[in-house]
Amino acid sequence: MSEQAAAILSVDKVSKKFCKDLKQSMLYGMIDIGREIIGMRVNAARLRKGEFWALDEVSFDLYEGEILSVIGTNGSGKTTLMRLISNIFPKDKGKIIKRKVKRVTPIFALHSGINDVLSGHENIMLKGSMLGMTKEELETKKDFIAEFSELGDSLNAPVGTYSSGMRARLAYAISIATEPNLFIIDEALAVGDSAFKAKCYDHLKAYVKAEPHRAVLYVTNRVKKILTIADRTLVLHKGKLVNDTTDLSAALEFYINNCLKDLPPHIRREHLQLIREYEG
Amino acid sequence: MLKLYPITFLTLAPSITVSMIKTFRQTILNLHRYRFLSWQLVRSNLVGGYKRSFIGLGWMLILPIITVFTWILLNGAGVVDPGDTSIAYPAYVLLSTSIWGFFMELYRTSSKVLTERGRMVVMNSFPYEVLLMEKVIVHLINFSIPLALNIIVLLIFGVKFQWYSLLLFPVSLLPLLLLGLGIGMVISVLRVIAVDICTLVDEGMKVLMFLTPVVYAPKIETGWLAFFNKYNPLAYLISFSRELLINGDFYKTTAYFWCSVFCFFFFYITLRFYLNFSQRVLERIY
Repeated sequence: MSEQAAAILSVDKVSKKFCKDLKQSMLYGMIDIGREIIGMRVNAARLRKGEFWALDEVSFDLYEGEILSVIGTNGSGKTTLMRLISNIFPKDKGKIIKRKVKRVTPIFALHSGINDVLSGHENIMLKGSMLGMTKEELETKKDFIAEFSELGDSLNAPVGTYSSGMRARLAYAISIATEPNLFIIDEALAVGDSAFKAKCYDHLKAYVKAEPHRAVLYVTNRVKKILTIADRTLVLHKGKLVNDTTDLSAALEFYINNCLKDLPPHIRREHLQLIREYEG
Repeated sequence: MLKLYPITFLTLAPSITVSMIKTFRQTILNLHRYRFLSWQLVRSNLVGGYKRSFIGLGWMLILPIITVFTWILLNGAGVVDPGDTSIAYPAYVLLSTSIWGFFMELYRTSSKVLTERGRMVVMNSFPYEVLLMEKVIVHLINFSIPLALNIIVLLIFGVKFQWYSLLLFPVSLLPLLLLGLGIGMVISVLRVIAVDICTLVDEGMKVLMFLTPVVYAPKIETGWLAFFNKYNPLAYLISFSRELLINGDFYKTTAYFWCSVFCFFFFYITLRFYLNFSQRVLERIY
């Protein structure tokens, strides 16, 4: 990324804590609500029994025109970070600053908000409005969505009859039609056939450069994908940002070595071999 | 570099610290901005719900008819002694349970809004008010059809309506709507983190129907029940709407007015509670 590019997103020492035990978490929830109602402050910086930092002082900038991939093992905090950036959950510490970002479209689960008994056309209106599109916007975009998804007459059928790949096509096409400044894709392209995925990658690369103030955050565990589309990579491990680099190969090597470092040596060797064989 | 304090405290979210006007203004702006989503959710709820049913929207007529026949049978068997009512007992019960249903169904649907729809908000990021708007619109549609049926049944039972009664009756239900929605909003937040409390409240609401003069006339209240209903806003709100429609009377207007004022402020406080804490509780399960 060139040094002249402006950061449209700045994440500064952001932290988020969760509780491992569900009942304990419920109890803390009741206590926190009770304290706030009676005007007592809740100390968010302190961990209580059973709590842990799902994100621990994570800082990075996202520049316009950039596709930034975020990788890490399961539970490393990738989705939590995306939810904080999307303003879905409140952060416990730090700052998230968005500049000239009018619309953030996150895709966390492609099937969420899709009604199985309604047709593809009806779901375009439903899911599109869920992502903040107005009736007028959807009327002008529905042809694009139909064309991009390549679902043809299937759009008249109930979505319950769709394969997971067809659902992915529909949901992805609706999401990209929102024309977000900040597009967050959280493992959403894991399904779908190869041709459609290739089309999406191609479209993403063009989309992000087509207008100013656009960028993509791409969360994945499939390391091979990253080399295909990303300009830069963040590696998260146990809630901490452990690597932020434009050298994607080095980042992947770092990820592969770090994500397995807690395993016994012989199991780690086996896993590494498998990762390099299938993903590297 | 940003300055970070060694200990950072959570502060109250804007929705709980801002004034009443700002709270309502923001809510109205959000509802206006996402009005198409509200309509789509309503459509999805109604059409989707009946798409696999052969009887479809006919259920909206069948269910109230079943209810009134149940009460006619019970009355004919002498199981229920309702006390002195101004119109035929089945008609009285039909209208009373309909008004109670207006309140109770709104409580029931709104109190489950986060557990049923929370995942949708978390995955798609839209304002929480939209979920409530969907529930209210669906509820009003579901209520208005049986209400029209009730009016016809009451006409058959010989009840003559005043023109102003028919006009004012929907308006008179507004405090009940605010109260049902208000209690529902609080319970919807608590249902995520305090399941036991909510189970008790759900059961309590069922008992409340029999404590409130719904299936019996206010005149048979005695002892502790009379004392309870003296301070039970539902007794005034339900009786006012019922008397307005049946007799064209304004039942205990002063009490109804103060109950309405209470409902308005209760709704405002619970709306702030709902807006402020929904996000906080959902993060604990998703």
